[in-house]
Amino acid sequence: MAMSASSAYPPPPPFYQLYMDYEQASSAPEPPLPIDGTYTIFGSERQINEVLPSLKSLGFRQLYPKDSNIDFKKELSIVNRELQLHILELVDILVERPSQYARRVEDISLIFQNLHHLLNSLRPHQARATLIHMLESQIHRRQQAIEDIKLRRDEAQKMLGESLLVLDGSQTN
Amino acid sequence: MDIISQLQEQLNEMSMLAVNTFGTLQRDAPPDRLSTSYPDPLNPNPNPKPEEDAKPQVQGQPGAAPAQAPGAPPQAQAQQPAPPQPPALDLAEQPKAMSHALVLAAKKFDALVAALPLSSEEDQLKRIEGLQAENEVVGLELQKQLEAAELELKQVEVLFNEATDNCINLKKPD
Repeated sequence: MAMSASSAYPPPPPFYQLYMDYEQASSAPEPPLPIDGTYTIFGSERQINEVLPSLKSLGFRQLYPKDSNIDFKKELSIVNRELQLHILELVDILVERPSQYARRVEDISLIFQNLHHLLNSLRPHQARATLIHMLESQIHRRQQAIEDIKLRRDEAQKMLGESLLVLDGSQTN
Repeated sequence: MDIISQLQEQLNEMSMLAVNTFGTLQRDAPPDRLSTSYPDPLNPNPNPKPEEDAKPQVQGQPGAAPAQAPGAPPQAQAQQPAPPQPPALDLAEQPKAMSHALVLAAKKFDALVAALPLSSEEDQLKRIEGLQAENEVVGLELQKQLEAAELELKQVEVLFNEATDNCINLKKPD
């Protein structure tokens, strides 16, 4: 291996000079601002506030009632019953009139679309629940830290008092 | 896995069971017997009648097979019940097992739906606002404690330095 006079390794990227003055003033650059609107990822554009497209916009009929407050549990179980009934219907059709399977298969796939759409509509609720859980755990951790700090400060005060007594005692000796 | 993903997985499982049920039954369905004058397709005949019917309507056929050949020698009669035995078992057991699995999957889906911890959006937003306010208060308290602790740490460091300096100055060299 040829040992050159100059360093064999490439120099570090010059950004490190931005982070030099820590004690005096932060010379580091500000973090980038959060983006808004659309962003490009893997070649395609996506929205920041990505909204679940409605079944109508995707071209599927909506089987459960359109309401602002949907009782998800009830609707999910109703559509599940519908699914089972349609499967049985398909079985019957295949026994009696096998050539008419197409309509039934379409119905079953529509039911599955509706079920998946219902489940996807539950995701924002799950996101809020996750946020609540995160806030609760953060509050709990902060309270723990406060208790810890109070404990340590009291311990330190006690040790300081004891050491003062010891020093006074050794001084008078 | 979170419960919504479990529900989605269960949905996929149900659809897989359904299509597998139909596919298996259609694949394994024996041909249908059009008339008694045709030979029974369930028997090992050289020219069985090919049929495209899906459902096994021929559950009664294995029972009727031994009655089909009146002039057949007893040897062939003894042979007839033996070969159809394995498919007959599958024909009877498979639909039961598959429909049992389908019903179990549907029940599991219902159980998961019942276990969903749902609450209204306003309740969630109110809770989030309350938690954020509490978080602020606790954060301020934490910051106060931290600053007080850092101040005490600096004081202790100063005292420590003084004490050690005094110790070094007062110590008589040997």
